[in-house]
Amino acid sequence: MSVRGLLERLTSRVEALQVLDTPGYQLEHGVSLTFLLAGRWARPLQDLLHGVWLGHPLHPVLVTVPVGAWSAAALLDGLDASGRGGPGAAQAARAVVGLGIAGGVGSVATGLTDWQHAHDEARRVGMVHGALNSAALALYAWSFADRGRGRAGRARVTAAAGYGLVLASSYLGGVLSYRHRLGVDHSAAGREPRVFTPVARLADLPDREPVEVAADGVPVVLVRTDEEVRALAGRCPHLGGPMAEGWLHRDELVCPWHGSRFDVGTGEPAQGPATAPLPCYDTRVRDGAVEVRRRARWRTPTAVTTVEEASR
Amino acid sequence: MKADEVLIAHHDVLRGLLRELAETRDDETGRREELRDRFLREIEVHAQIEDELFYPAVPDVSPLLALAHAEHRQIDDQVATVMRMDVADPEFTTEVRMLENTVRHHTMEEEQRMFPQSHALGEERLEELGEQLRARKRELEESGGMRLIVRLKRATLRHV
Repeated sequence: MSVRGLLERLTSRVEALQVLDTPGYQLEHGVSLTFLLAGRWARPLQDLLHGVWLGHPLHPVLVTVPVGAWSAAALLDGLDASGRGGPGAAQAARAVVGLGIAGGVGSVATGLTDWQHAHDEARRVGMVHGALNSAALALYAWSFADRGRGRAGRARVTAAAGYGLVLASSYLGGVLSYRHRLGVDHSAAGREPRVFTPVARLADLPDREPVEVAADGVPVVLVRTDEEVRALAGRCPHLGGPMAEGWLHRDELVCPWHGSRFDVGTGEPAQGPATAPLPCYDTRVRDGAVEVRRRARWRTPTAVTTVEEASR
Repeated sequence: MKADEVLIAHHDVLRGLLRELAETRDDETGRREELRDRFLREIEVHAQIEDELFYPAVPDVSPLLALAHAEHRQIDDQVATVMRMDVADPEFTTEVRMLENTVRHHTMEEEQRMFPQSHALGEERLEELGEQLRARKRELEESGGMRLIVRLKRATLRHV
Protein backbone atom coordinates (compact mmCIF):
# COMPACT_ATOMS: atom_id res chain seq x y z
CA MET A 1 0.00 0.00 0.00
CA SER A 2 1.21 3.50 -0.81
CA VAL A 3 2.14 5.97 1.93
CA ARG A 4 -0.76 8.16 0.92
CA GLY A 5 -3.19 5.26 1.02
CA LEU A 6 -2.02 4.20 4.47
CA LEU A 7 -2.27 7.70 5.91
CA GLU A 8 -5.64 8.13 4.28
CA ARG A 9 -6.92 4.98 5.96
CA LEU A 10 -5.59 5.98 9.36
CA THR A 11 -7.14 9.43 9.01
CA SER A 12 -10.55 7.98 8.11
CA ARG A 13 -10.35 5.76 11.18
CA VAL A 14 -9.82 8.81 13.38
CA GLU A 15 -12.60 10.74 11.64
CA ALA A 16 -15.03 7.91 12.34
CA LEU A 17 -14.35 7.75 16.10
CA GLN A 18 -17.87 8.58 17.24
CA VAL A 19 -16.99 7.42 20.76
CA LEU A 20 -15.08 10.70 21.11
CA ASP A 21 -18.23 12.81 20.72
CA THR A 22 -19.49 12.62 24.30
CA PRO A 23 -16.11 13.23 25.99
CA GLY A 24 -15.59 15.94 23.37
CA TYR A 25 -18.65 17.85 24.48
CA GLN A 26 -17.65 17.38 28.10
CA LEU A 27 -14.22 18.78 27.35
CA GLU A 28 -15.82 21.70 25.54
CA HIS A 29 -18.04 22.38 28.55
CA GLY A 30 -14.89 22.42 30.67
CA VAL A 31 -13.14 24.85 28.34
CA SER A 32 -16.27 27.00 28.20
CA LEU A 33 -16.52 27.08 32.01
CA THR A 34 -12.86 28.04 32.32
CA PHE A 35 -13.40 30.98 30.00
CA LEU A 36 -16.61 31.98 31.79
CA LEU A 37 -14.61 32.24 35.00
CA ALA A 38 -12.47 34.87 33.30
CA GLY A 39 -15.57 37.09 33.44
CA ARG A 40 -15.36 40.18 31.28
CA TRP A 41 -11.99 39.03 30.03
CA ALA A 42 -13.40 35.82 28.56
CA ARG A 43 -14.14 37.36 25.16
CA PRO A 44 -10.94 39.41 24.71
CA LEU A 45 -8.90 36.43 25.88
CA GLN A 46 -10.52 34.08 23.38
CA ASP A 47 -10.17 36.63 20.59
CA LEU A 48 -6.48 36.98 21.44
CA LEU A 49 -6.02 33.20 21.29
CA HIS A 50 -8.06 32.79 18.08
CA GLY A 51 -5.92 35.47 16.42
CA VAL A 52 -8.69 38.00 15.66
CA TRP A 53 -6.07 40.75 16.16
CA LEU A 54 -3.74 39.02 13.70
CA GLY A 55 -6.13 38.41 10.82
CA HIS A 56 -5.55 34.67 10.71
CA PRO A 57 -5.36 31.91 13.33
CA LEU A 58 -2.63 32.27 15.95
CA HIS A 59 -2.31 28.52 16.55
CA PRO A 60 -0.32 27.64 13.39
CA VAL A 61 2.06 30.51 14.18
CA LEU A 62 2.78 29.26 17.69
CA VAL A 63 3.17 25.57 16.79
CA THR A 64 6.26 26.37 14.76
CA VAL A 65 8.05 27.07 18.07
CA PRO A 66 7.81 23.55 19.61
CA VAL A 67 8.21 21.80 16.26
CA GLY A 68 11.31 23.83 15.42
CA ALA A 69 12.80 23.72 18.92
CA TRP A 70 12.25 19.99 19.32
CA SER A 71 13.72 19.32 15.86
CA ALA A 72 16.83 21.18 16.98
CA ALA A 73 16.82 19.16 20.22
CA ALA A 74 16.65 15.91 18.22
CA LEU A 75 19.69 16.97 16.19
CA LEU A 76 21.67 18.06 19.27
CA ASP A 77 20.72 14.83 21.11
CA GLY A 78 21.91 12.80 18.14
CA LEU A 79 25.23 14.61 17.97
CA ASP A 80 25.68 14.35 21.71
CA ALA A 81 24.86 10.62 21.81
CA SER A 82 27.36 9.88 19.02
CA GLY A 83 30.04 11.89 20.83
CA ARG A 84 30.26 14.60 18.18
CA GLY A 85 28.33 17.24 20.04
CA GLY A 86 31.27 18.90 21.69
CA PRO A 87 31.09 20.85 24.91
CA GLY A 88 27.80 22.62 25.53
CA ALA A 89 25.68 20.40 23.26
CA ALA A 90 23.79 18.86 26.19
CA GLN A 91 23.16 22.29 27.67
CA ALA A 92 21.95 23.64 24.34
CA ALA A 93 19.66 20.63 23.93
CA ARG A 94 18.11 21.30 27.34
CA ALA A 95 17.56 24.95 26.43
CA VAL A 96 15.74 24.13 23.18
CA VAL A 97 13.64 21.43 24.85
CA GLY A 98 12.58 24.10 27.35
CA LEU A 99 11.78 26.58 24.57
CA GLY A 100 9.65 23.91 22.90
CA ILE A 101 7.74 23.32 26.12
CA ALA A 102 6.96 27.02 26.45
CA GLY A 103 5.75 27.14 22.84
CA GLY A 104 3.83 23.91 23.44
CA VAL A 105 1.85 25.43 26.30
CA GLY A 106 0.89 28.36 24.05
CA SER A 107 -0.09 25.92 21.31
CA VAL A 108 -2.36 24.00 23.69
CA ALA A 109 -4.14 27.21 24.70
CA THR A 110 -4.66 28.44 21.13
CA GLY A 111 -5.49 24.96 19.83
CA LEU A 112 -8.17 24.28 22.44
CA THR A 113 -9.71 27.70 21.83
CA ASP A 114 -10.02 27.04 18.08
CA TRP A 115 -11.07 23.40 18.57
CA GLN A 116 -14.11 24.34 20.70
CA HIS A 117 -15.97 25.41 17.57
CA ALA A 118 -15.02 22.53 15.27
CA HIS A 119 -17.76 20.17 14.11
CA ASP A 120 -18.10 16.40 13.72
CA GLU A 121 -15.10 14.78 11.95
CA ALA A 122 -12.85 17.79 12.44
CA ARG A 123 -13.67 17.78 16.14
CA ARG A 124 -12.63 14.13 16.46
CA VAL A 125 -9.41 14.63 14.51
CA GLY A 126 -8.72 17.66 16.70
CA MET A 127 -9.14 15.58 19.85
CA VAL A 128 -6.64 12.95 18.71
CA HIS A 129 -4.28 15.69 17.52
CA GLY A 130 -4.51 17.35 20.93
CA ALA A 131 -4.13 14.10 22.87
CA LEU A 132 -0.97 13.11 20.95
CA ASN A 133 0.51 16.57 21.45
CA SER A 134 -0.33 16.60 25.13
CA ALA A 135 1.40 13.24 25.54
CA ALA A 136 4.42 14.62 23.67
CA LEU A 137 4.42 17.72 25.85
CA ALA A 138 4.40 15.52 28.98
CA LEU A 139 7.30 13.42 27.63
CA TYR A 140 9.32 16.55 26.90
CA ALA A 141 8.58 17.93 30.37
CA TRP A 142 9.89 14.67 31.82
CA SER A 143 12.90 14.81 29.51
CA PHE A 144 13.58 18.40 30.57
CA ALA A 145 13.51 17.44 34.25
CA ASP A 146 15.82 14.46 33.59
CA ARG A 147 18.31 16.71 31.82
CA GLY A 148 18.51 18.82 34.98
CA ARG A 149 19.11 15.69 37.06
CA GLY A 150 21.88 14.37 34.85
CA ARG A 151 19.81 11.44 33.47
CA ALA A 152 20.99 12.20 29.92
CA GLY A 153 20.32 8.76 28.44
CA ARG A 154 16.72 8.50 29.58
CA ALA A 155 16.13 12.15 28.67
CA ARG A 156 17.15 11.43 25.06
CA VAL A 157 14.85 8.42 24.85
CA THR A 158 11.79 10.29 26.14
CA ALA A 159 12.56 13.22 23.83
CA ALA A 160 12.82 10.86 20.83
CA ALA A 161 9.48 9.26 21.74
CA GLY A 162 7.94 12.72 22.10
CA TYR A 163 9.31 13.72 18.70
CA GLY A 164 7.63 10.71 17.07
CA LEU A 165 4.29 11.70 18.59
CA VAL A 166 4.72 15.30 17.45
CA LEU A 167 5.36 14.20 13.87
CA ALA A 168 2.27 11.95 13.84
CA SER A 169 0.18 14.67 15.39
CA SER A 170 1.47 17.31 12.96
CA TYR A 171 0.13 15.19 10.15
CA LEU A 172 -3.32 15.37 11.77
CA GLY A 173 -2.87 19.11 12.18
CA GLY A 174 -2.35 19.27 8.42
CA VAL A 175 -5.51 17.23 7.91
CA LEU A 176 -7.41 19.80 10.00
CA SER A 177 -6.14 22.72 7.94
CA TYR A 178 -5.98 21.34 4.42
CA ARG A 179 -8.82 18.83 4.43
CA HIS A 180 -11.27 20.12 7.01
CA ARG A 181 -10.27 23.71 6.26
CA LEU A 182 -10.25 24.79 9.91
CA GLY A 183 -8.93 28.32 10.17
CA VAL A 184 -9.24 28.88 6.42
CA ASP A 185 -11.38 31.77 5.13
CA HIS A 186 -14.75 30.26 4.17
CA SER A 187 -16.34 33.45 2.84
CA ALA A 188 -16.58 34.18 -0.87
CA ALA A 189 -13.01 34.51 -2.09
CA GLY A 190 -13.81 35.40 -5.68
CA ARG A 191 -14.00 38.87 -7.21
CA GLU A 192 -17.47 38.59 -8.67
CA PRO A 193 -19.48 40.54 -9.51
CA ARG A 194 -17.01 42.99 -11.01
CA VAL A 195 -19.63 45.40 -12.27
CA PHE A 196 -22.73 46.69 -10.49
CA THR A 197 -25.35 43.95 -10.63
CA PRO A 198 -28.99 44.43 -9.56
CA VAL A 199 -29.94 42.04 -6.74
CA ALA A 200 -33.11 43.35 -5.07
CA ARG A 201 -35.72 46.10 -4.93
CA LEU A 202 -35.02 48.69 -2.26
CA ALA A 203 -38.70 48.73 -1.30
CA ASP A 204 -38.57 44.99 -0.51
CA LEU A 205 -35.81 45.31 2.08
CA PRO A 206 -36.89 45.31 5.74
CA ASP A 207 -35.18 47.69 8.15
CA ARG A 208 -32.19 46.27 10.06
CA GLU A 209 -32.91 42.70 9.02
CA PRO A 210 -30.32 40.85 6.93
CA VAL A 211 -31.61 39.41 3.66
CA GLU A 212 -29.79 36.96 1.42
CA VAL A 213 -29.60 37.57 -2.32
CA ALA A 214 -27.46 36.09 -5.08
CA ALA A 215 -25.14 38.26 -7.14
CA ASP A 216 -23.81 36.28 -10.11
CA GLY A 217 -24.44 33.16 -8.06
CA VAL A 218 -22.48 34.49 -5.08
CA PRO A 219 -24.46 34.62 -1.80
CA VAL A 220 -24.59 38.22 -0.52
CA VAL A 221 -26.31 39.67 2.52
CA LEU A 222 -28.06 43.01 2.28
CA VAL A 223 -28.59 45.07 5.42
CA ARG A 224 -30.75 48.15 5.18
CA THR A 225 -30.49 50.79 7.88
CA ASP A 226 -32.52 53.95 7.37
CA GLU A 227 -31.76 54.91 3.80
CA GLU A 228 -28.44 53.12 3.59
CA VAL A 229 -27.95 49.65 2.16
CA ARG A 230 -24.85 47.66 2.95
CA ALA A 231 -23.81 44.44 1.28
CA LEU A 232 -21.57 41.79 2.80
CA ALA A 233 -20.62 38.24 1.96
CA GLY A 234 -23.34 35.68 2.66
CA ARG A 235 -21.06 33.09 4.30
CA CYS A 236 -19.10 33.51 7.52
CA PRO A 237 -15.31 33.38 7.04
CA HIS A 238 -15.03 31.05 10.07
CA LEU A 239 -16.93 27.95 8.91
CA GLY A 240 -19.31 29.23 6.27
CA GLY A 241 -22.33 29.95 8.50
CA PRO A 242 -25.30 31.57 6.70
CA MET A 243 -24.95 35.26 7.63
CA ALA A 244 -28.47 36.12 6.46
CA GLU A 245 -29.83 33.92 9.26
CA GLY A 246 -27.87 36.10 11.67
CA TRP A 247 -28.93 39.45 13.07
CA LEU A 248 -27.73 42.96 13.84
CA HIS A 249 -26.35 43.71 17.29
CA ARG A 250 -25.51 47.38 17.56
CA ASP A 251 -23.75 47.92 14.21
CA GLU A 252 -22.41 44.41 13.93
CA LEU A 253 -23.72 41.47 11.96
CA VAL A 254 -23.68 38.31 14.09
CA CYS A 255 -23.09 34.83 12.66
CA PRO A 256 -25.84 32.50 13.92
CA TRP A 257 -23.49 29.51 14.25
CA HIS A 258 -20.63 30.53 16.54
CA GLY A 259 -21.36 34.17 17.25
CA SER A 260 -18.60 35.84 15.22
CA ARG A 261 -19.42 39.54 14.82
CA PHE A 262 -18.54 41.81 11.91
CA ASP A 263 -18.69 45.57 11.50
CA VAL A 264 -21.43 46.15 8.88
CA GLY A 265 -19.53 49.09 7.42
CA THR A 266 -16.11 47.52 7.00
CA GLY A 267 -16.63 43.75 7.44
CA GLU A 268 -13.83 43.71 10.05
CA PRO A 269 -14.29 40.98 12.67
CA ALA A 270 -15.28 42.56 15.99
CA GLN A 271 -15.41 39.21 17.78
CA GLY A 272 -14.11 35.72 17.01
CA PRO A 273 -13.94 32.84 16.34
CA ALA A 274 -13.69 34.34 12.82
CA THR A 275 -10.28 35.93 12.24
CA ALA A 276 -10.77 37.00 8.62
CA PRO A 277 -13.00 39.92 7.60
CA LEU A 278 -16.38 39.42 5.98
CA PRO A 279 -15.92 40.63 2.37
CA CYS A 280 -17.80 43.80 1.50
CA TYR A 281 -19.62 44.90 -1.63
CA ASP A 282 -20.12 48.41 -2.92
CA THR A 283 -23.78 49.27 -3.26
CA ARG A 284 -25.84 51.81 -5.15
CA VAL A 285 -29.52 52.28 -5.85
CA ARG A 286 -30.72 52.82 -9.44
CA ASP A 287 -34.42 53.25 -10.19
CA GLY A 288 -35.35 51.53 -6.95
CA ALA A 289 -33.06 48.58 -7.63
CA VAL A 290 -30.18 47.78 -5.28
CA GLU A 291 -26.99 46.98 -7.17
CA VAL A 292 -23.83 45.47 -5.72
CA ARG A 293 -20.25 45.06 -6.83
CA ARG A 294 -17.40 43.30 -5.06
CA ARG A 295 -15.16 45.74 -3.21
CA ALA A 296 -11.49 44.89 -3.57
CA ARG A 297 -9.68 44.35 -0.29
CA TRP A 298 -7.09 47.01 -0.95
CA ARG A 299 -9.71 49.72 -1.34
CA THR A 300 -10.70 51.81 1.62
CA PRO A 301 -14.24 50.95 2.64
CA THR A 302 -15.60 54.43 2.05
CA ALA A 303 -14.07 54.96 -1.39
CA VAL A 304 -16.46 55.40 -4.26
CA THR A 305 -15.00 53.53 -7.18
CA THR A 306 -15.63 53.58 -10.89
CA VAL A 307 -16.68 50.62 -12.97
CA GLU A 308 -13.35 50.69 -14.86
CA GLU A 309 -11.40 50.41 -11.63
CA ALA A 310 -13.48 47.52 -10.41
CA SER A 311 -12.95 45.43 -13.50
CA ARG A 312 -9.17 45.71 -13.41
CA MET B 1 -46.92 14.25 23.89
CA LYS B 2 -44.22 13.60 21.33
CA ALA B 3 -40.65 14.69 21.96
CA ASP B 4 -40.72 17.63 19.57
CA GLU B 5 -44.03 18.85 21.01
CA VAL B 6 -42.58 18.83 24.54
CA LEU B 7 -39.55 20.80 23.38
CA ILE B 8 -41.56 23.29 21.30
CA ALA B 9 -43.83 24.00 24.28
CA HIS B 10 -40.75 24.76 26.35
CA HIS B 11 -39.26 26.89 23.55
CA ASP B 12 -42.41 29.02 23.75
CA VAL B 13 -41.81 29.53 27.48
CA LEU B 14 -38.18 30.56 26.84
CA ARG B 15 -39.04 32.94 24.03
CA GLY B 16 -41.94 34.40 26.00
CA LEU B 17 -39.73 35.14 29.00
CA LEU B 18 -37.18 36.94 26.84
CA ARG B 19 -39.86 38.95 25.08
CA GLU B 20 -41.22 40.06 28.45
CA LEU B 21 -37.73 40.84 29.71
CA ALA B 22 -36.90 42.90 26.61
CA GLU B 23 -40.08 44.94 27.09
CA THR B 24 -39.36 45.96 30.68
CA ARG B 25 -38.35 49.54 31.44
CA ASP B 26 -34.97 50.54 32.92
CA ASP B 27 -36.61 51.38 36.26
CA GLU B 28 -38.36 48.00 36.64
CA THR B 29 -35.28 46.48 38.22
CA GLY B 30 -37.10 44.03 40.48
CA ARG B 31 -39.10 42.60 37.59
CA ARG B 32 -35.95 42.36 35.46
CA GLU B 33 -34.11 40.45 38.17
CA GLU B 34 -37.04 38.08 38.58
CA LEU B 35 -37.51 37.38 34.85
CA ARG B 36 -33.79 36.99 34.33
CA ASP B 37 -33.48 34.46 37.16
CA ARG B 38 -36.49 32.55 35.91
CA PHE B 39 -34.99 32.46 32.39
CA LEU B 40 -31.69 31.14 33.75
CA ARG B 41 -33.50 28.29 35.53
CA GLU B 42 -35.58 27.39 32.47
CA ILE B 43 -32.67 27.49 30.02
CA GLU B 44 -30.50 25.32 32.29
CA VAL B 45 -33.25 22.70 32.50
CA HIS B 46 -33.89 22.92 28.76
CA ALA B 47 -30.24 22.52 27.76
CA GLN B 48 -29.90 19.63 30.18
CA ILE B 49 -32.88 17.61 28.89
CA GLU B 50 -31.85 18.19 25.27
CA ASP B 51 -28.23 17.22 25.94
CA GLU B 52 -29.17 14.22 28.07
CA LEU B 53 -32.09 12.74 26.17
CA PHE B 54 -32.99 14.33 22.86
CA TYR B 55 -29.62 14.89 21.15
CA PRO B 56 -28.28 11.39 21.91
CA ALA B 57 -31.41 9.96 20.26
CA VAL B 58 -31.05 11.73 16.91
CA PRO B 59 -27.48 11.48 15.50
CA ASP B 60 -28.55 8.85 12.96
CA VAL B 61 -31.40 10.93 11.58
CA SER B 62 -30.11 14.50 11.87
CA PRO B 63 -26.83 15.99 10.67
CA LEU B 64 -27.47 19.15 12.69
CA LEU B 65 -26.20 18.02 16.10
CA ALA B 66 -22.88 19.86 15.95
CA LEU B 67 -24.70 23.07 15.05
CA ALA B 68 -27.18 22.60 17.88
CA HIS B 69 -24.30 22.24 20.32
CA ALA B 70 -22.56 25.30 18.86
CA GLU B 71 -25.74 27.32 19.30
CA HIS B 72 -26.20 26.15 22.88
CA ARG B 73 -22.70 27.40 23.49
CA GLN B 74 -23.52 30.77 21.97
CA ILE B 75 -26.64 31.02 24.14
CA ASP B 76 -24.57 30.10 27.21
CA ASP B 77 -22.06 32.85 26.51
CA GLN B 78 -24.75 35.46 25.97
CA VAL B 79 -26.62 34.35 29.11
CA ALA B 80 -23.35 34.99 30.96
CA THR B 81 -23.17 38.50 29.50
CA VAL B 82 -26.74 39.27 30.55
CA MET B 83 -26.24 37.77 34.03
CA ARG B 84 -23.16 39.88 34.62
CA MET B 85 -24.96 43.11 33.76
CA ASP B 86 -26.54 45.54 36.15
CA VAL B 87 -30.29 45.37 35.39
CA ALA B 88 -30.48 49.17 35.40
CA ASP B 89 -27.77 49.44 32.74
CA PRO B 90 -29.04 51.36 29.70
CA GLU B 91 -27.49 48.66 27.49
CA PHE B 92 -29.36 45.87 29.30
CA THR B 93 -32.14 45.65 26.72
CA THR B 94 -29.65 45.58 23.82
CA GLU B 95 -27.94 42.54 25.33
CA VAL B 96 -31.30 40.88 26.09
CA ARG B 97 -32.30 41.40 22.44
CA MET B 98 -29.05 39.76 21.41
CA LEU B 99 -29.91 36.80 23.64
CA GLU B 100 -33.43 36.76 22.23
CA ASN B 101 -32.06 36.58 18.68
CA THR B 102 -29.65 33.80 19.62
CA VAL B 103 -32.43 31.78 21.25
CA ARG B 104 -34.86 32.48 18.42
CA HIS B 105 -32.38 31.30 15.80
CA HIS B 106 -31.55 28.11 17.68
CA THR B 107 -35.13 27.18 18.48
CA MET B 108 -36.35 27.93 14.95
CA GLU B 109 -33.56 25.84 13.49
CA GLU B 110 -34.64 22.94 15.67
CA GLU B 111 -38.33 23.40 14.94
CA GLN B 112 -37.95 23.86 11.20
CA ARG B 113 -35.07 21.49 10.45
CA MET B 114 -34.02 19.12 13.21
CA PHE B 115 -37.46 18.16 14.57
CA PRO B 116 -38.86 17.25 11.13
CA GLN B 117 -35.74 15.09 10.64
CA SER B 118 -36.38 13.46 14.02
CA HIS B 119 -39.73 12.19 12.74
CA ALA B 120 -37.75 9.43 11.05
CA LEU B 121 -37.46 7.87 14.51
CA GLY B 122 -41.13 6.89 14.27
CA GLU B 123 -44.24 7.87 16.21
CA GLU B 124 -43.75 5.34 18.97
CA ARG B 125 -40.17 6.28 19.75
CA LEU B 126 -41.04 9.99 19.73
CA GLU B 127 -43.90 9.43 22.19
CA GLU B 128 -41.60 7.45 24.47
CA LEU B 129 -38.89 10.09 24.22
CA GLY B 130 -41.47 12.80 24.89
CA GLU B 131 -42.48 11.07 28.11
CA GLN B 132 -38.85 10.79 29.19
CA LEU B 133 -38.26 14.47 28.44
CA ARG B 134 -41.31 15.48 30.43
CA ALA B 135 -40.40 13.34 33.40
CA ARG B 136 -36.80 14.51 33.43
CA LYS B 137 -37.86 18.13 33.08
CA ARG B 138 -40.18 17.81 36.07
CA GLU B 139 -37.49 16.05 38.04
CA LEU B 140 -34.92 18.76 37.31
CA GLU B 141 -37.36 21.54 38.13
CA GLU B 142 -37.90 20.02 41.54
CA SER B 143 -34.35 18.89 42.21
CA GLY B 144 -32.30 20.62 44.85
CA GLY B 145 -29.12 19.87 42.90
CA MET B 146 -30.31 21.81 39.87
CA ARG B 147 -31.39 24.74 42.06
CA LEU B 148 -27.95 24.72 43.64
CA ILE B 149 -26.20 24.70 40.25
CA VAL B 150 -28.31 27.62 39.05
CA ARG B 151 -27.65 29.55 42.27
CA LEU B 152 -23.92 28.87 42.03
CA LYS B 153 -23.86 29.88 38.41
CA ARG B 154 -25.73 33.08 39.14
CA ALA B 155 -23.44 33.98 42.03
CA THR B 156 -20.29 33.17 40.07
CA LEU B 157 -21.33 35.09 36.98
CA ARG B 158 -22.14 38.17 39.01
CA HIS B 159 -18.79 38.21 40.72
CA VAL B 160 -16.37 37.62 37.90
